[in-house]
Amino acid sequence: MNIFECWVIVLIGIPAVVAAITATHIAVERARGIATGAGLAMLAWAALPFLEGELIRSMSASEVVSPFFGVRSLLRIDALSRPLPCLAAALWLLSVAVTPRTSLDRGGLVRAAAATMFTTLGFLTENPGLLVFVWTASVLTFSFALSSGGHQRARRVVMAYLGMSTLAFGFGVALAFGSEKGGVMELAGLWLIVLAAVTRKGVFPFHAWLPAVFEHGKIGPAVLFSTPQFGTYVVAVLVLPRASPDTISTLAAFALVTGVYGGMLALVQRSARRACGYLFMSQSALVMAGLDIANPEGLTGALVLWISSSLAFAGLARCVLVLEARRGTLDLSKYHGGYENKPLLAAAFLLLGLTCAGFPGTLGFVGEELLLAGSLQDFPVLGFLVVIAGALIGLAIMRMYFSLFCGTRASVLRLELTRREAIGFASVVGFLLLTGLAPGPLVASRLEASFHLRPGSFEPHASRVTRPALAPSGHPNKATGDDDDSGDDASRVEPKGEFWHSGGDSNPLGHCARGCPSGWKPEPI
Amino acid sequence: MSEFVLEAGTLVGLASPALLLAVLSLASLAPRPLAERHVAWLTGGAMVASVAALALALAADVVIGAEVTSWTARTWFSSYEGSFRFDLLVDRGALAFALLSATICGVVSRFSFSYLHRERGFQRYFVLFSAFALGMQMIALAGSIEVLFAGWELVGLSSALLVAYFHERPGPVTNGLRVFAFYRLSDAAMLVAAALVHLHAGDGSLRWIFGADEMSAHFSPSEATLIGVFLIVAVAGKSALLPLSSWLPRAMEGPTSSSAVYYGSLSVHAGCYLLWRAAPLLERSPVAQGLAIVLGVATALYASLVARVQTDVKSALAFASMTQVALIVVEIAVGLHGLAFLHLVGHASLRLLQFLTAPSVLHDLHELQAERSESGGRAVEFPIRSRRLYKFALERGHLDEALDRVVVAPFKRAAAALDALDRILAGESSRRARKRRR
Repeated sequence: MNIFECWVIVLIGIPAVVAAITATHIAVERARGIATGAGLAMLAWAALPFLEGELIRSMSASEVVSPFFGVRSLLRIDALSRPLPCLAAALWLLSVAVTPRTSLDRGGLVRAAAATMFTTLGFLTENPGLLVFVWTASVLTFSFALSSGGHQRARRVVMAYLGMSTLAFGFGVALAFGSEKGGVMELAGLWLIVLAAVTRKGVFPFHAWLPAVFEHGKIGPAVLFSTPQFGTYVVAVLVLPRASPDTISTLAAFALVTGVYGGMLALVQRSARRACGYLFMSQSALVMAGLDIANPEGLTGALVLWISSSLAFAGLARCVLVLEARRGTLDLSKYHGGYENKPLLAAAFLLLGLTCAGFPGTLGFVGEELLLAGSLQDFPVLGFLVVIAGALIGLAIMRMYFSLFCGTRASVLRLELTRREAIGFASVVGFLLLTGLAPGPLVASRLEASFHLRPGSFEPHASRVTRPALAPSGHPNKATGDDDDSGDDASRVEPKGEFWHSGGDSNPLGHCARGCPSGWKPEPI
Repeated sequence: MSEFVLEAGTLVGLASPALLLAVLSLASLAPRPLAERHVAWLTGGAMVASVAALALALAADVVIGAEVTSWTARTWFSSYEGSFRFDLLVDRGALAFALLSATICGVVSRFSFSYLHRERGFQRYFVLFSAFALGMQMIALAGSIEVLFAGWELVGLSSALLVAYFHERPGPVTNGLRVFAFYRLSDAAMLVAAALVHLHAGDGSLRWIFGADEMSAHFSPSEATLIGVFLIVAVAGKSALLPLSSWLPRAMEGPTSSSAVYYGSLSVHAGCYLLWRAAPLLERSPVAQGLAIVLGVATALYASLVARVQTDVKSALAFASMTQVALIVVEIAVGLHGLAFLHLVGHASLRLLQFLTAPSVLHDLHELQAERSESGGRAVEFPIRSRRLYKFALERGHLDEALDRVVVAPFKRAAAALDALDRILAGESSRRARKRRR
């Protein structure tokens, strides 16, 4: 057993053991404590591949023999998948730490651990068969969560849409990977996989289940099912390497339209839950759009946005859940007030929302800026939809913030966050702000992943090659006398030392595993 | 030595409000708010440090006589085809505007200590105020469009949240959201301009649009026009030019001190400053130049007319500000850059004084407001004997109504119809979906 196999077994084993322990008859709060500890341990363990040295080199090697099935390359970790187990662990941790007691039961904890296990397993493979298994298992886990209480309508909708998407995915994989390469059957199979992925992600016009589940179902399981964006991963590993440019462009166009559509409908909702559904739909569609853009800027932006939108939206939805536990149903057509009672929750909601909207200083801004630059290169007109979507999301967030926390003097007692909730929200907000202010390492790692996704297909942009080195100059500023170009390069003070992050190489991994364009070298940061 | 003072002064001028924002934000996490005097010390200290440092930097710049200093402070992050940089572009104009901003922020913060004494949101006000001060410094000293955009967004967000400062009443909150909607449009235009600069120049350095030679080297006239038009839309949103001006009187719901600094002196001039810096872009694009002139003239006429029938001092001052801001835009567009800068500085200072003294004047002279509203329902200064024009001015040009009718209502109708369709697709009966739509 090599080091990678040990790492995988422990990683998958942690949620599996937690699910088994929680299923026994222990008190819910005790089970939550165990799950929280296990979530922290899993997060730390999942971060091991980011460490320097021999460990990372051996773990970057994607050619491994699975201990489970004895098939080569069944499980692997590469530039694309390296941060994804961390994301799954963080979402699990947030889920168990922040969910209010009223929304928590033992079954929920078991399902959360199982969902995390399946998602993590899915992120570690490119094997189509294993992906079908993970896909089906996660859909079933989600539908079990809706089987109790008054969520029958939501369950019917889920079963209809996600059942169809699961079938489409299974048939698509069978056709695409079981038939001759380049044939009609492979094309049909790829389209079925695309159909399954866009349905699971809620891309227009296959999106109706997503807001319905948020409104009528359970927010917690819906967030845990949706926010890892497994549909995006499937498109990245199964569709992108094989699909024609036309297929990918069509997908990108639909995703960009969905981004605007979701933002637009989030803005007019009365139900805070349903608004959350549309917000997530818009965010995840932008990730999908970026993934389908055939340039490194767009791809890198999408991969950064994947992480930022998943974490920010999960936090935002948990804020709504926490607020609901204290207030009941949240109607956005009224002002609920109460900022003075819950200033920390209000601040967390606003900051997480601003991350979703791509506010500067947050990780969302980095992703959105790169995505915009990339989309304008490939889709000069449709690219503007990214900006419109961002503007609409920002407005929807602000409307929610004002409605949920302002507008009236709340008559309730001071209901502060519990310590566990405060730490959970502060950690997510802190991570999003820190990586927003110093995004260099994350962007470099996602840039490398973008090369991995489209190996050898990028060439440097003309402007990068031909741009002349111009001296700084003034402009006709008669008020201050700066009226001619008299500066020179000597007046330009180049950076000394590292401010944003340490290390001389912008690529924190120190190498580009595969797919990097020849001669390309990251700019020193 | 002078170069060191220039560099250090600029960085301290920028870092002081940033540090203040960080400290006050972190202090807000504590269960008990800071004492007012501690907030006052921290804010006062940061403002004094910022003003002193920028004054020294400006003096050093005069001593050195350097025309432009571009500091590549840091590459923020690199992508494949370009880098996103945290650059400062420091010259005499930038330092003068930064010093003006810091001084005005200092004066207003001192005023606010007394004005907001014992208000429940005292510390929240200063968190937002420090965000604004930082945003203004970033706009003034920006060397890359990322820094400019970050400052632009900080100013916009803090502005909307301060309009809704008295958030236990629905009026300020509704107006705050409305103001934010306009700012969002302005931000979107700025973001597109930023992306276009990146697309055509490879990075977001503002030298490409602030410098005449670089501009012609990198952008064809059509590209310059496109970027220029988006910049003017961004400026129109921030500086309340037509047709994006109806938010300005609504913004007066906030505390007087924030109205003074945002809508009297600094925030409304941020757009003018940007246009002033980007003058080479306007000169290269007759379309953008023409657009700026048309918007400026139309806004000046409109605001001048409407200001004369306002029955409360803050609204009258808001429209008066709008008039002058529009004139500054026209001056920049026709190439009177020196005059425009002097006009900007003078108007910002004068209007600040008027806003800050308005509550005292009202307090001492109750009859001032009464006199205006008791003049038979007709403003004594209204210059034209036209009933139609008078009604037009009284209704503020029906701008809000037109916007509601042309943009908001169709948007809501379309969204509601799509929502009903989604509900049907998710298994709700069409009757139930229609009911929800209503």
